[in-house]
Amino acid sequence: MIGFAWPPALFALPLLLLPLVIRWLRASAVPRLDLRAVEGRAVGPLLVALAMLAPAALILGLAQPYLRGGSTAYRGIGTNLVLLIDRSSSMDDTFAGRSPQGGDESKAAAARRILLDFIARRPDDRIGIAAFSTAPMLVLPMTESRTAIAAAVAALAEPGLSQTDVGRGLTLAMGMAHEASASDSRAVVLVSDGAAVIAPEVQTALRNLAARRQVNIYWLYLRTKGAKGIFEVPEPGQADTPHLRPERHLHIFLQSLGLPYHAFEADSPGAVEDAVTEIGRMESRPILTRRPVPRRDLAWACHLLASLCCAALAAARWLERRYAPRRPAPLLVPA
Amino acid sequence: MTAARAILPALAAGLALVAAAGPGIEGRRELRDVLIVVDITRSMNVRDMDGASRLDAARDVLTRWIASQPCGARVGLGFFTERRSLTLIEPVEICTDYATLAGTLAGLDWRMAWEGDSMISKGLNHALNRARGLDAALIFVTDGQEAPPLPYSGPDGWREDSPGGVVLGAGGDQPAPIPKFDDLGRETGFYGPTDVQHAPARIGAPPTDAADRPGFHPRNNPYGEADLEGSEHLSAMRAEYLTRLAGERGMGFARLSAGPAALQATLAAHAPARRVATHRSLSPVFGALALAVLLAALLATPLHARKETP
Repeated sequence: MIGFAWPPALFALPLLLLPLVIRWLRASAVPRLDLRAVEGRAVGPLLVALAMLAPAALILGLAQPYLRGGSTAYRGIGTNLVLLIDRSSSMDDTFAGRSPQGGDESKAAAARRILLDFIARRPDDRIGIAAFSTAPMLVLPMTESRTAIAAAVAALAEPGLSQTDVGRGLTLAMGMAHEASASDSRAVVLVSDGAAVIAPEVQTALRNLAARRQVNIYWLYLRTKGAKGIFEVPEPGQADTPHLRPERHLHIFLQSLGLPYHAFEADSPGAVEDAVTEIGRMESRPILTRRPVPRRDLAWACHLLASLCCAALAAARWLERRYAPRRPAPLLVPA
Repeated sequence: MTAARAILPALAAGLALVAAAGPGIEGRRELRDVLIVVDITRSMNVRDMDGASRLDAARDVLTRWIASQPCGARVGLGFFTERRSLTLIEPVEICTDYATLAGTLAGLDWRMAWEGDSMISKGLNHALNRARGLDAALIFVTDGQEAPPLPYSGPDGWREDSPGGVVLGAGGDQPAPIPKFDDLGRETGFYGPTDVQHAPARIGAPPTDAADRPGFHPRNNPYGEADLEGSEHLSAMRAEYLTRLAGERGMGFARLSAGPAALQATLAAHAPARRVATHRSLSPVFGALALAVLLAALLATPLHARKETP
């Protein structure tokens, strides 16, 4: 699509009718058609055409045409990915469960670094970010813009908030994934270092969402030293309730949703990296995504064309000759 | 005449060629990077902005303000509740990521609040620190309703360097009721006088006029009983309070209802600008000149046919 930066200039277009009325070269009152070579007969209409084209190109140039930017659809390899990030304050501790000192890396910082690497390796993903603490938050709607994604991930560096309400966070993330695309694959990656009891009404909402459309769910559980694992089955006789073992019961709940689901337990930055690589391998499917196309200016081409036309017209004037260098001799000489 | 006829088209060709080469002059443009922090506490749900809620009005004005900014300006987004702000997106260039910013702004919702408190002076200080860390000025949208009410010692001060910015006051001047929502987010009415705290918690030094309050007793009731009723369940914009907070922090105060232009004017007065070089194309000027010269060249030919003379 072509647009004009200053369309009022186009009102000057009738000016290009002038060359139809005014000749570019001089007219002669003594036409001598037989003095003009046959192959030169195209010169007249050509000059008119050039004299019309030159102002037309200049007027178009003044209107500053451009090819509209925007985005084009193309087929890439990736997925519609919703990152669901735990913003509870425990994420600011290290994997050893202490506050970071010296060269230590907190769980949040490790997750951020590894996710940024991951995103940089996958140019075709459409990514959205949701976060949760006591309440779910929409951080970034689904987007292809890498700068926006980087800015949103960088903002996760701020210290976290209070508690963990993973259920409502999942509802938000699955809703975002549903809206992202009707045909391509969708995935939710939950990054958290803990879980919480999911209220019954939220469980129902999640089951309804799961029944509506398929979403692949990945849970990257950042296990702090000493915390119970999600795969550990308690010894017989030990209590096994969602209140005491929320992580294990979230795992059981997610398994029961009937969706493709993988849980990864990572207790070090290295393990997180392996898990993320594995997720990336599984989430490589054809996806219809969009690539931004910059706006392109076309005025220079108009000006160049006008310049060539003007040069040709100038040449015509320089080469202009009279039809007859001298008055023709009379046909009949009176006696 | 003859010379002009030969020279003018060549001149037009030259001018058009110059226009095609795209000459320009260097200009300077002032850009302001901004972190927008929106108050999403309950009082922002009050519908006293021509029928729209304060939050909706804030979204509308901010989206229009972002759209009016020159390319190259960077805008970040965050929100405020409890006593701190949370940044959602660090400042990004607005022309590349306008859609994202508008989407995130549209997604701002009172339900994101992780707590219901609204300690504005603390939140403002936190947001200012955050903005300074991001090297941006601050636009803080709030209605100025502290909940719970300020302690008797007054609001938190500010003693550090300020990045500047604007406190944007949302809401009308007439107190209006605050909508109340249930657990599932359905509106169930309005806050009543018995739902809210009307005076600061009875912690710390009592107010100086406590002795004059009803029910005062130096040992058993040093705060008096003046905090049992009040109008904290209604909300109006506290323009005076916000102006004072803004003044202490080197920021300006503007009303949300005044629109994006007033916001821009206040921001220009209270936030430092980043100067960038711009390239202003002169192609249209050369193109117009070329057109004029070409028309002159066309008209330089006599309209009447020439008589051939020996």
